[in-house]
Formats: sequence, C-alpha cells, structure tokens
Amino acid sequence: MNLPTSLSQLGRRIWTTLASLQLTITCLALLIALVFLCTIAQVEMGTLGAVNTYMRSWIVWWAPKGYAFQVPVFPGGALVGFVLTLNLIVALIVRFTFSWKKAGLWIVHLGLILLVAGEFVSGSMQVEHRMIIREGETVNFLESYRDTELVIRDVSDPGYENVFTVPAARLAKGGVIPLKGSPLSVKVARYYKNSAMGPLAPEDHAPLATRGVGATVKVTELQVESAENKMNQTAALVEPMAGGQSYGVWLVSTMLGAPQSFIHEGRTYILSMRIQRQYLPYSLSLKKFRHDVYPGTDIPKNFSSLVQLQNPTRGEDREVLIYMNQPLRYQGRTFYQSGFEGDTITILQVVQNPGWLLPYISCVLVTIGLLLHFILSLRRSMARRSA
Amino acid sequence: MKLTKYLPWVAGLLALVATLVLALPSAPVRGFDLNAFGGLPVLEGGRVKPLNSIARNSLLVIRSQQSFRFEGRTIQPDEWLADLLFRPQVADRQPVFVINDPDVLGLIGLQQTADRYFSFETIIPHIDAIERQAQAAHAIEAPKRDRFQNAIENLYSRLLLYHRLRNSIQLADSPGLALELAQMGNPEIAARQESMIQLAFFRPLPPLAGQGQDAWKNTGEAMRARSMGMLHPGLGLVAQIGGAYAIGDAQRFNQAVTDLRGQHLALQPGAQHQADSELRFNRAQPFYAGMVIYVLALLTLFTSWAWKRELLQPTAFALLLAGSVVHTIGLASRIILQGRPPVTNLYSSAVFVGWGAVILGIVLERIYRKGFGTAVAAAAGFGSLIVAHHLAADGDTMEMMRAVLDSNFWLATHVVAITIGYSGTFLAGAIAIGYTLRKQIVGESDPETTKALSGMAFGVICFALLFSFVGTVLGGIWADQSWGRFWGWDPKENGALLIVLWNAIILHARLAGYVRDRGIMAMAIFGNIITSLSWFGVNMLGVGLHSYGFMDKAFWALSGFIASQLILMALCLAPPMFWKRVLPAK
Repeated sequence: MNLPTSLSQLGRRIWTTLASLQLTITCLALLIALVFLCTIAQVEMGTLGAVNTYMRSWIVWWAPKGYAFQVPVFPGGALVGFVLTLNLIVALIVRFTFSWKKAGLWIVHLGLILLVAGEFVSGSMQVEHRMIIREGETVNFLESYRDTELVIRDVSDPGYENVFTVPAARLAKGGVIPLKGSPLSVKVARYYKNSAMGPLAPEDHAPLATRGVGATVKVTELQVESAENKMNQTAALVEPMAGGQSYGVWLVSTMLGAPQSFIHEGRTYILSMRIQRQYLPYSLSLKKFRHDVYPGTDIPKNFSSLVQLQNPTRGEDREVLIYMNQPLRYQGRTFYQSGFEGDTITILQVVQNPGWLLPYISCVLVTIGLLLHFILSLRRSMARRSA
Repeated sequence: MKLTKYLPWVAGLLALVATLVLALPSAPVRGFDLNAFGGLPVLEGGRVKPLNSIARNSLLVIRSQQSFRFEGRTIQPDEWLADLLFRPQVADRQPVFVINDPDVLGLIGLQQTADRYFSFETIIPHIDAIERQAQAAHAIEAPKRDRFQNAIENLYSRLLLYHRLRNSIQLADSPGLALELAQMGNPEIAARQESMIQLAFFRPLPPLAGQGQDAWKNTGEAMRARSMGMLHPGLGLVAQIGGAYAIGDAQRFNQAVTDLRGQHLALQPGAQHQADSELRFNRAQPFYAGMVIYVLALLTLFTSWAWKRELLQPTAFALLLAGSVVHTIGLASRIILQGRPPVTNLYSSAVFVGWGAVILGIVLERIYRKGFGTAVAAAAGFGSLIVAHHLAADGDTMEMMRAVLDSNFWLATHVVAITIGYSGTFLAGAIAIGYTLRKQIVGESDPETTKALSGMAFGVICFALLFSFVGTVLGGIWADQSWGRFWGWDPKENGALLIVLWNAIILHARLAGYVRDRGIMAMAIFGNIITSLSWFGVNMLGVGLHSYGFMDKAFWALSGFIASQLILMALCLAPPMFWKRVLPAK
C-alpha cells in the first residue's frame, strides 16, 4: 500500500464520517446532554456562568475540588455546534439530489444552518449595555452591565473635562499603561476583579495604597461572581506617574464614591473606578416613565418610557415610546424597556447584534420547509391509502 | 341490532346531559340564596370576578378542596365565605386548614392522625410560634428552603389569606357593618376604617358613574369616602346582606342581594355579566366533568377488549367525543372570559396539552379505527386534566398577565405552538406505552395493528417536532422583541430545545435504520420524560425569566412519573414474550 492511496482513503473516510447520520445523532445526543447540564448548572453558576462553561466553550473543563489544574471532560457547545453544522453542510453536498420529495427537508436544513450561524454570531458579536435615564435627564452614553473602567478626569478647565479611561480588562494585565493624549501614565500595583472593603485593624499589614482613602482601609479579594443579579465590586491600586514622578498609590473601587484627586503641573486630575461607558453620537431624554399595576395588586400591567431621540449629526429630533415588546431599533442598536427604579428612573437594555436578522430568516425557511414536507408527505400517504 | 347502532350515541349524549344537569344552580341553603350571593361581582387580583370565584379559589388554597363536611352537612364555597365574612365565630370552628407536615403539626402541639384538617380556632393560639418560624423561613431564598420551612411558610400565607378574607367587609370583631355605619362620627370608627382598608382582600363596591373602570372600593374605603360626604349606594346594601345573614333572616338577605345585583346592573352592567358568566363556568366545572367522561371512555374501551368489542369500542369513542366537547367548551369559555389565547399559565397549559392530545387522538382513531386512538386520547385527556386539577390549588387560574407576557399575539402563536408540541410528544409517548403494554401483557397477535401503531407514533412525532420547533423559534423571536436576545439559554428555552432535539434524534435514528419499531417506541416513551422535565422540571429550578410558574410541591410527583416511564422503557426494550413466559400456560 503506498502513501497517496492510504491518504486518499483516509480522506474519504473522514469525508464519509463527516456526512454520516451517525455523527448527526452523536452530536444531537451530546447537545442534549450539554443543554441539560447547562440548565441544571444555572442554579449554582447563574445563567451566564453556565452558558459560558457549557454552551459557548469548545471544551468543558472540570477542576477537581482543591486542585489548581483542570481536565477536559466533555466537548463544549461551540465544538458540538460547529461539528454538527459541518456535518450538515457536508451531508448537503454529498447527498444533495433535487427532487420534490426531499425539497422541504433541504429547505429545513438550510434554515438550521442559518440558525446555528446566528447563534455563533450572537455568541461572539452580541454586545449588551444598558442606559439609565432619570425623568428630565438626557443621556448620550451606554453603560456596561459588568465591565468597569478606571477614569482619570482632567477638570482644570472650566466648562469641559478631559476624560481618560482604562478598561478594567487592561488593568487586570498589570504593568504601566500610558494615557494617550495626556502626560500621565498609570502603573497597576494590584487589581481585584471582585473585592470587599473594611476598616483597617491594628494587626493588619499596612495597606499598599499610600494616598487617599485607600491608605486607611483594608481591601480583601472576593471570589468572582458570575450570576447575573450579583455585581462584582472591582477595585485596583494604581500609581499615576508623569515625567518620572510618582503621585503615590491610590485605591480606586466601584464602591468608592468620594472624588480623589492629585495635581500635576497645575492641572487637577480626579481618579475613579466606574461602570464602563460607551458614548453615542445621539442622545435620549426621558420625558415620562410610566409603571402601571393592576388595581389592588403589585402585578405590573405596563411599563413604558417616552423618550426624545436627538441626533444632531442627522438632524433628527423625535419622540419615541419604548414599552414592553416594543423596542426602539436605531442605528444597529435596539433599546428595550428592561426595568426601572422608583417612579422616575427607567432602565433600558441596549443590544447590538449584527446577526439579529438571521434567526428570523431561518425561522421562515424552516417553517416553509416543514410545511412543504408535511404537505408532500400527506399527499403521498393519501395517495397510498386510496390506492 | 338497532341498539348496537344507537347505544354509542346515547351514551355520548347522556354524558353531555349529565354535565349540563350538574351545571344548574344549587338550591338555597337554610333559605339563603347563596347562589345569587356568589354571583355578585368584586374586584380582586386586578380583575372583576364573582364572589364565588374568591370563595372557591380561597378554599382550594386553604383546604386543597372546594367543599368540606361540617356538622353532618357538606359546606359549599359560597356558604363558607358567607360564614367567614358575616359569622366568623361559625367559620372559625370549621376544619378548613389542611396540614400534612408532621413538624408543623408538632409546632402547634398536634399529632399526626388520619384527620389532617384543622379549624382556625385550633391553630390561632399558636400564631406567635408560626409567625416566628415563617419569618425565619421567609428570609431564606425559596429554592433553598427545606420541607418544614416550605410548609410553615405556606401555612402562614394561608392563615394570612383567611385573616384578610375574614376582615374583608367588616372587621371580624364587628358588631355589624350597619351598626358601625350608624356611629360614623366616632373617632374609634375612623381607626377601624384604616384596618379595614388595609386588610380587605377584595373590593365589592363598583365604580360610580364618572369614575374610572378600576375605581372599585372596599367597604373601608367607602366608609372613609362617606365621612367626606360621598355615600356609595351599595354600602348600605352590603351592610344589610351581612346583618341579615348574621341573624339568620333569609328573606332580607335575599332581598338585599337582589337589590345589590340590580344596582350593579345599573352601574356596571359589564361587570355583573362578566361575573354571571364566570359563575356559570365555575358551577359547570367543565374540566372536572371532562375528566370523569374520559375515565368512562377509557374503562369502556378496556372492557371492549374483553367483551362485545363491536358495541363498546364505538361507545368508548362516542364518550371520548362527548368528553372532548365538554373540554372544548370549557377551553372556549376560558378564552372568552379572560379575553386571552388558551394558554396563559401552567394550569391552562395542562388543560390545553390535554385538549391537543385528545383532538390528535380522535384524528388518529378516525384514520386507523383500532380503538388505540381512543385509548391514548382518553388517557392523555384524563392525565392532563388531573395535572391541571392539582395545579389549580394555587388559587385563581385566570390571574392577570404580567406586563412582559402581555401580548395576545405571542401568547396565541409561541405558547400555543409549544403546548401543541407537548401534546404531540406526550401522545407519541402514550401510543408507545400502549404498544408496550399490548406487546408484553396481551402478547403480539396482529402484525397489522403493530404496524398501524408504529405508523401513528412516527406521524405524531413528526407533528410534535414541527410544532415544538416552530414554537421554540417563535419564542426566540418574542424574546428578541421583548428582552433583546433571540436565545438566552434560559431553563424554559432549554427545555423546549431538548424536546426539539430529542424528536430530531428519533427521526434521524429511524432514517439511518438504527432503530426499528421497538426502539422508536422506547425513544417515544423517553420523550415523555423530556417533555415533563421541560414542562414542570425547569420551573422547579426557580431561575430565569420564565419562572412565572414556579412550584416545588410537584417534585415528588414528577420523580414518580419519570420512574414509571423508565420502567415502561425497560419493559418496551425487554425481549417480547418476557411476561408470557412468567404467566402459567393456559
């Protein structure tokens, strides 16, 4: 047996395996197991944690209790989804013969490919933010749900601020980070993804922070929360530097509200840690938030936010009513009524998902395909019965 | 000869007539027209309903039954509520609290005996201990509570409901609303009004001309309005009803109820008519009647396999049809009463799943005419109505929809499609169980029937896949419209996906030839497990945006169901004649 033949044999075998129904069934069964595990795990890990572990991963890892290493125990949802899609595409190529009998099924499977593709696109490209607006206020930025950032604001000029930000993810990497457009750079002394603060006891080590509030409090690292309803309190110890001079080590945390500032060459800089923001070229003003309940109950009947959408770049200035099941779609983002605080603050969920249309197309394709197949089968079986 | 032709139709008609007779109004109790009393509209839980619904649902929550025996008589919900409102000293002696948990019984100094029902009077001396324990339990997240904590929390909330009902029209220690109305200037009365406003469970006084639809008032609020010079014309009549009931003056009671009804018809005719329709629906109990007829159909069919097949098989089918007519009327009434598509909560999903399975079964029976369609349809209809019956114990089954679910379009498409998918998967499972029992107990005799059964199962699985897939994707689109993501791996979504995946596996395994009749049947039985987990299991997890149907009581019921299905699967996969060999030869 010479090499080329065996190689081509191997290739053919892989090709047949990729097109086989066995692979389809194996993948579907694995998917069932993954979906089941992912559902059960949500009780402990929260939806996001479980989805990241089981569905959005290529491999499911397991860490034995008390050990630092992880072992791969199961193929992850992404891997299974990928193989299943590959299987479907190869099967379509290998077995495709056009006949009315099969037409419905081909359309169904084409729709399924789009559906999986849509989930891959959302999984990798969907970005969720929120926008919190108080009645009468105008907001032109989105807030992240979980991500935080270090902000250094130059407030020396009356009328405007120069804002420099460093995402928490960059802080996590440590090192010295230059702030573009400013003479400053920031050295990260310590980063806590989740932390707690408490009073400093006499037996504690001296805090790392040398300036500001941080010099008098104790920071302890906490386990990272992955449940949606729990926030991580991110903190960092940072050392602003300029021209070889250090301005001391400061503690910044999402738990700290009071401003901390230092002066460099006559300019005042305020340091803080906040929820990460993203600025928009347009703004929304909340004119009226409504929250009705059914009489004599606390069952919510209706939430709605009447907002003014203003976009100077396009000369737009119009009123929009956002309410349940009726989002605002604008420039690739969708604004949903998601919550509220008190009677005057609305919380909008803002989603950017370039693949949002795929499931719609897929749904139409699959429905047409199934109906076609159903009708054709019914006609055949009717014909058989009457024969 | 004639008889055999007409008996099926007669049986079906008889079942329908019996249902109608049961729906007739009940006779007056001790001369009191409690039927008319139960038909008075009130506002509670955000919607207008008859007092009868309050009485029924509350008694169901508190006692898990809609009537009970007391001093040699059966007390119906209307009478219980009238006693509770106007003669609390009588109601407090009635054994309406069901307590099963031994630790809770221990807490109130009682031993577990055959009698599980206790009166308010027996429990109330221990209220401090109950309240303390309930508060401790309340501080713990619902999914993490243990059995005792759940039981005590549950008892406390039932006591609270009872307490609120008891003080809804007048305070329980009141000498009578009429007397209190006469002493309006008294400052003590003002303080009592505040308690009445806080405690009242429902609002019996409709909005007056010029007021908004929602401006129903409880008696406390009406008294406060009166002290500010606005007398609600119904207040005096409500006082008369209570006074007359308390002293046993049936004639005055009936007159006052009639007058109040007349007033409702003048002020809010829509509300009175709505209450009347719901009262009729409550009395008819169509789902209960349907359940009984399905059992009759099933028993008739079982008998037909042993005796007079030609006569009894059509009779069973006619009974099934009668049951489905009652079921359909019940479903349609709910849709009309609520102004909503058929499925709005877990309870109505059970009713609808059963309905879908029954209709599918009838279609199968018309196609194959083997009696199997009748059997699985009647079994599925009965089973799901039993489940619905137990789910109704949570109270009002027509509660208002939360804002996020308030969309008739999506309720009518996504929810209905998903639920039909459940029906289909369960029906396929039921067919497979029928196949298994037939094969193992009766022994295979007729290959044609076997072929018909596997044809049925396959067709129903395809049908189920179609609806669960379309329903799941529609759900994704709804989620995209209202929450901003098509797919969020929420437990309920995952549950729906599991059904789709499982049905897809069955079809692909059949296509590839990995499974034949027996394998498909075993897989179809496993479909029952997956569907039950998706339907109820995920609600027990208590996570996610769909946790509107949370429940924990059903855990054991679900575990039992799963175990039974696993046994049936094993039976299905066991070699044929497995049982035959054990049975002594004839």
